[in-house]
Amino acid sequence: MVELRYAFFLGCTIPYRVTSYEVSARKVAAKLGIELVEMNDFNCCGLPIDPVSHEAMLVLAARNLCLAEQQNLNITTLCTGCAITLRKVNRMLKENKELREIINRRLKEVGMEFKGTIEVKHFAHVLAEDYGTENIKQHVKKPLAQLQVSEHAGCHFLRPMEYTGFDHPEDPTLLKGLIEATGAKYLDYMDKTNCCGFTVIAIDDKISLSLTGSKLGNMQDVGAEAVVTVCPSCFLMFDVQQPRIERAFGKTFSIPVVHYTQLLGLAMGMSAHELELDTHRVAATSLLSKIG
Amino acid sequence: MGAEQSAELKETIRSSHLDRNFPKEVMKHHGGEKLFLCYQCGSCAGGCPVGRLTTDYNPRQIVRLASLGLKDNVLKSNSLWFCTACFTCTDRCPQGLEVASIIRVIRNMAAEQGIVPQVFKELGSSILETGLAYKIPELRLKKREEQKLPPMPTTDTKAVDKLLEATGFPKLIKGQPVKEA
Amino acid sequence: MPEKHEKPRIGVYVCHCGLNIAGVVDVKKVAQDAKSLPGVVMSKDYRYLCSVPGQELIKKDIKEHKLNRVVVAACTPNMHEATFRKVLEESGVNPYLLEIANIREHCSWVHRNEPQKATKKSTELTTMAVAKARNMEPLTIKEVDALKSALVIGGGITGINAAIDLAEMGFQVYLVERNESIGGRMSQLDKTFPTLDCSTCVLGPKMVEVYRHPNIKILSYSEVVGLDGYVGNFKVKVLRKPRYVIEENCTGCGECSNVCPIEIPNYWNMNMGVRKCISIPFEHAVPLVYRIDMDNCINCYKCVETCGARNAILFDQKPETVELNVGAIVVAIGFDPYDPAKDEQYGYEVYPNVITGLEMERLLSAAGPTGGVINRPSDLTEPKRVAFIQCVGSRNLKRNPYCSRVCCMYSIKHGRQLKEKHPEMEVAIYYMDIRAFGKGYEEFYEKAAREYRIQFIRGRVSEITEDPKTHNLIVHAEDTFLGRPVELEYDMVVLAIGLEPHSTTDKIQEILKISRSPDKFLQEAHPKLRPVDTLAAGIYIAGTCQGPKDIPDSVAQAKAAASSVAMLLHKGKIRIESIIASVIEALCTGCGKCVDVCPFQAISIDETKNIATILEAKCNGCGSCAATCPVGAMQLRHFKDEQILAMIENALSPIRKE
Repeated sequence: MVELRYAFFLGCTIPYRVTSYEVSARKVAAKLGIELVEMNDFNCCGLPIDPVSHEAMLVLAARNLCLAEQQNLNITTLCTGCAITLRKVNRMLKENKELREIINRRLKEVGMEFKGTIEVKHFAHVLAEDYGTENIKQHVKKPLAQLQVSEHAGCHFLRPMEYTGFDHPEDPTLLKGLIEATGAKYLDYMDKTNCCGFTVIAIDDKISLSLTGSKLGNMQDVGAEAVVTVCPSCFLMFDVQQPRIERAFGKTFSIPVVHYTQLLGLAMGMSAHELELDTHRVAATSLLSKIG
Repeated sequence: MGAEQSAELKETIRSSHLDRNFPKEVMKHHGGEKLFLCYQCGSCAGGCPVGRLTTDYNPRQIVRLASLGLKDNVLKSNSLWFCTACFTCTDRCPQGLEVASIIRVIRNMAAEQGIVPQVFKELGSSILETGLAYKIPELRLKKREEQKLPPMPTTDTKAVDKLLEATGFPKLIKGQPVKEA
Repeated sequence: MPEKHEKPRIGVYVCHCGLNIAGVVDVKKVAQDAKSLPGVVMSKDYRYLCSVPGQELIKKDIKEHKLNRVVVAACTPNMHEATFRKVLEESGVNPYLLEIANIREHCSWVHRNEPQKATKKSTELTTMAVAKARNMEPLTIKEVDALKSALVIGGGITGINAAIDLAEMGFQVYLVERNESIGGRMSQLDKTFPTLDCSTCVLGPKMVEVYRHPNIKILSYSEVVGLDGYVGNFKVKVLRKPRYVIEENCTGCGECSNVCPIEIPNYWNMNMGVRKCISIPFEHAVPLVYRIDMDNCINCYKCVETCGARNAILFDQKPETVELNVGAIVVAIGFDPYDPAKDEQYGYEVYPNVITGLEMERLLSAAGPTGGVINRPSDLTEPKRVAFIQCVGSRNLKRNPYCSRVCCMYSIKHGRQLKEKHPEMEVAIYYMDIRAFGKGYEEFYEKAAREYRIQFIRGRVSEITEDPKTHNLIVHAEDTFLGRPVELEYDMVVLAIGLEPHSTTDKIQEILKISRSPDKFLQEAHPKLRPVDTLAAGIYIAGTCQGPKDIPDSVAQAKAAASSVAMLLHKGKIRIESIIASVIEALCTGCGKCVDVCPFQAISIDETKNIATILEAKCNGCGSCAATCPVGAMQLRHFKDEQILAMIENALSPIRKE
């Protein structure tokens, strides 16, 4: 079996509000034989405060990269925001000598130095590329053949194309492959690659609710029985905010939201309870009854 | 939040309204280098998910305001904070402008003048206090034990604070201007 | 004629060039200082040496003072070396006994703020030039016979016009076309802007004229594969690809095509229509010779049966290489349309109702795959709302940075043609700028907007999405005039794709050894003054292979190229370069290093004497051999070691007369 060890970057949102994602991920990783090593001293990746100070974001991200370098492990994370931020800063510091010198001068004050020795990958990339979608199929004991689902990959998973490493930024198929590996049917829908609006919910919630609501509507149009997310923030928009969206726009969606790790866990034979599917706001009863 | 950014644009633009140095300042910032390459094609605005929902927000217009040097208009505009950083504009721009980054640069410049929306003040002070963007409540920490999850990290907040102090971050998130208007 | 070891009598002329030089450099001082250099008989300054009186002055001085060397301190030799060489020649002095010191581009123009230093530098440059002049020798002026024939590569409108003009002037022309028929891109057009002339009506007679002209030989379905020789005497290898039909025997009756059971996509219809496995690409093909697509042939032999006694079909026809001897070459290989599949946000090849401008052109054509009926691909219904997206692949730093020049006009043309057929159709053009630069173009555009009511929306399209049920398209853009995003629905979308250099450009460049511009099109010798020349002697370029352009400009360039070829070849003799390499036979060891570095294959090793031999007509005087030769046997005339060393010595410590 493939031996994989990563420094596990948890980020701020998951431990705060979306532990179901962490729980399901750890369980799936353990079963697949992927070791997630704790980063005991990590701090916020910096993305939330980038609008205030880019330099602050850079030092926060760089500190995390240094921690992983000290552990001599590549980073994997469940949050797309953390992933793109750490990836981007990692590459920027590797390629831009001037910038690296400025940041290293700051890091020196706290006894650290960015050396550029590790890589960063979102957990979905780890599963699809490092572990291999074909290998994942081998662990699928209960293919979810009765289920048809849509993906919400999220902006930070898909863009900017320079840093994500996809070859088809307008229609990447990585998540599609992972979803189909579970046996579920993958449904395309209008404006699939659109934003959920989470980052401006505190600025103008109407915009965020409209963006997510519009996507839920499009998913409903094609008959999606669940939406699969790979980011805790996107998850919050689709799941926790769904009742609010329904009220604000006078619609009913009742589309359960699952983290990809939960979808995979179900296909691997784990129970909904152990994957914490019952903690979601939008009840997943219809989904669960379908797969038996 | 209303559409106040258009208020001053209602009068004729005169030389006195323009700050010729402002676009150069933007271009000095990381991510803002290509400001003058913009030929106002509208690809960014045409694909912007927020732009199609509200007339208050238009990324092409923000770049235009900055290029002309309408400094006050753009730094004080509310619409500046509507961008979700989805990067669709950056991907679509035929001139290679990192449009989302330019907006971030202008946001940073606004912050230097003490303009910081409340949510960032909260996120920022949490980072200074705990190292993370949210303060995790006690009951969550207890739940972690029940869920058999590893304990939360013991972040070296002194080190984090030291790093952030050097960037002027603590002052910024208090809404204290660090630069002359 | 002055001999090499004759005592040099040098005249030095320092030009003011108005204020270009004199505004920075103290030209009088430079002229004065030169007087004390050995060999200098007289030294003057003058306002505009290149002017008629300036040239006359030099001529007068040569006669009166018996000057046998001239040094001109002025602008770059690229400007006026030829001018002053002529002055010497007309005065009976060998034209190569001239040396130019560039005190403008190399001095006054770049040291504007340091006049004193610039003056000193000008004196030094002049001193070096005089030092060389002391060591110069006359060069032989040679002429070679030139063939009064030309090769035109590419049989589109450009190649056709160049061929006809040359043929009319009495030159033998070989027109090599890689496709089965001449006609090129213009044959794929329905109507041409701004007159809306039927393209075939304009092109057709020209094609026939080429075919019938006694001085033109068409080699169709052929490609240039090799080049040897030199200007005036090129040897071109042409590969004649097998058609499996004997050209001389084929009567073009088409009966073989009627019985052929196999259909294949027709590239001429942008693969939207079919042709038979044995067929011609379009009805008015020239030459009218059929071709079998052997990859798809099932060997049923029905065609052979039907052809019968005409015996035109030959299944084991082999490719043939022929050699042509020509005096000059005109490259007119045309362009390829940009492929928008890589711009995924537009959905080309994903959404069936998104097509390219060239595909729309075929749909509009009466000879096209739908007989001129406008149908949309998904359901073959007539579209009621059509949008044109401009600048696809052009004006884009991530794709091609240049403007493709013709797309604004062809989309407006398409819009008007659609409106002519269906007046109620909604037609919109999404653009950044409208480029309607040519004669009658602005009026054409105005009429489209005012009379035809074509809607012009100023905003570059961000993306196109599709309603999966109806296959209708939504165009996402911003109306920048209103400052609002627009998302309008259409039945069909046409991408106005730009022009790119033809796919064979790499190969042609390699064979002919010509340059490319940064935009990857073939490079002209000078962007303003020599638009159809290349830096390779005897090779010319014309048409869209030099850059995107419309038909009038292509034809103008075709005629320019023909005229340039005529200028070159009409006397039947060509002067070849005099500044070429020469071998000091006593020193040559026959090592062969020079042979390897020569880009023009102008050197060979004489087997018997084991000495390098230069084929003078091929030598371009680049100097690579002279620089490479380890023993100094190879010298470049006019840039010999002793001459260059003299310049260096005199730059560092000038010798002066007592």
